[in-house]
Amino acid sequence: MPQFPSVDWFEQVREIFNGDESYQEAGGGMCDATMGIKVADSSYILVFEGEECSEVREVPELDLAEADFYLDMASDEWQEMIQNIKDNDGADLDHTLNTLDMDRFEGLALTMNGDQYRQDFFYRYNQTFQYFFDASARIDTDFTPGD
Amino acid sequence: MADTKPPEEQEQQEKLQASAARVTEREAGSDDAEEVEIAPPNLAWMKNTLQWGTRAKPTKNGLTIDALNVGVYGDVPDFWDDQTRKPRGAFPVPGVAPLGFEVREKRELWADNAADLYEEAIQRRWAPATDVPWNTIQPLPDDVEAAICQLCTELSQNASIEIEVIGGWQQKLSYGFHEVKLFLATQMFDNARHFEAFRKRALSNGGGLGLESKGEVNRMLLESTGGWPETVVMLHMLRGAFTFTLYRYGELFAHNPAEKVLFARAMQDKARHLAYGLAHLRYATSHNPDKAVVFSRLMNIAERVFERELNDPVLKEALAIIFGGGIEGARSGMRQYERMMGDFARQYLANMEHIGVPREAGFPPTLAQFMEA
Repeated sequence: MPQFPSVDWFEQVREIFNGDESYQEAGGGMCDATMGIKVADSSYILVFEGEECSEVREVPELDLAEADFYLDMASDEWQEMIQNIKDNDGADLDHTLNTLDMDRFEGLALTMNGDQYRQDFFYRYNQTFQYFFDASARIDTDFTPGD
Repeated sequence: MADTKPPEEQEQQEKLQASAARVTEREAGSDDAEEVEIAPPNLAWMKNTLQWGTRAKPTKNGLTIDALNVGVYGDVPDFWDDQTRKPRGAFPVPGVAPLGFEVREKRELWADNAADLYEEAIQRRWAPATDVPWNTIQPLPDDVEAAICQLCTELSQNASIEIEVIGGWQQKLSYGFHEVKLFLATQMFDNARHFEAFRKRALSNGGGLGLESKGEVNRMLLESTGGWPETVVMLHMLRGAFTFTLYRYGELFAHNPAEKVLFARAMQDKARHLAYGLAHLRYATSHNPDKAVVFSRLMNIAERVFERELNDPVLKEALAIIFGGGIEGARSGMRQYERMMGDFARQYLANMEHIGVPREAGFPPTLAQFMEA
């Protein structure tokens, strides 16, 4: 069972996401964007190219500046979202990315590069990112904090 | 003017004319199709190409419209001289009567992302009839249903206005910049989808359409004939950012999965429209510094028309009821409305800053105050 957060966890979700054509339909589809993920002290870069998530890697926090935007939540908030997705086979009304973004004073989707146009990729490709996290419903996740 | 055709070409032309005359003569005297003499084909047109041997290569997103921009076909001029409907890179035919384009300068419509946005719109399409889980809609209290129906009525109306605004400009935009024309065609189609989707929501849960919009901004957009960039700054930056904000809050306060999907998908589409607006207007101001002044003066007027329309209580009250969960919660809903307007104002000002037209100094105080909410 992959631990969240970890490259292994994102890789397993990536594999499911890339292998299911239904994620390219109904508002999904081509997406060229680099999304950052920040969970406590851990940071990751996910690259989306065309119809797939082509790359996942762990990075130093400062490298999130290369992402078009990055998602930043506390560990327990990430856990709540991922557990909710698991329980409902997809995010319920209170746990979609847009809702989580709007529920936070600072927002969920942030930028280190200050580029409004690139930050807007979060909205422009929102369904693709939602599909990506919804794909995590198909794996079991270990939320035990690592070393 | 003397005929300058080479002798062999002239001879071939005469043969063709003679052949055509024989055919006409025979057809007139006989009903038998078997007797009709068919003229030999004149294949001279086959040599008429500006560039032959072109092999555009598919990209990771398939054979995109941008991938076709090779050789002369990718030569996007700063000024489109042609006044016919000649596709860019096609062999020109002399003597075609002009059909007239109003927008012929690249800086008046271009956006570097237009080709990609076109592909994106095609590939990321959705169908309200089948992609929205309409069966998840459950009866709502009458006041909430009425408020949702009012919001959907206005969103539907605004979408149809956007179709007409862009449609009115389409034939004025030169074919030399077909990437933009194609993208705008998808924006019109997106708006048809939004018109359809919000109308469906209003008519699917025991309610009905509400009041039409007061329409002052709609009129301003429809009557914007000064220039395409000037229309874009009002349509995409001002109305577009407001509609985008409404979609985001519609998703946040959705009562069921159907509304959640409906508003989220519409939000994606609108973000794509904004992406064209941002890229084009930034291009426009960077290639014509005077444009920033023009836009600023124009928005001094447009923002006040927008502000005046907001004084109409209908949409405001409907949103407060949705946000507050009913008339009883409308007071707290109004605070949420103010927060929404603050989000809109911040987004609008950030977008204007991005295109090189900072607006904070001239922004109407009644709109600016929302940013403190």
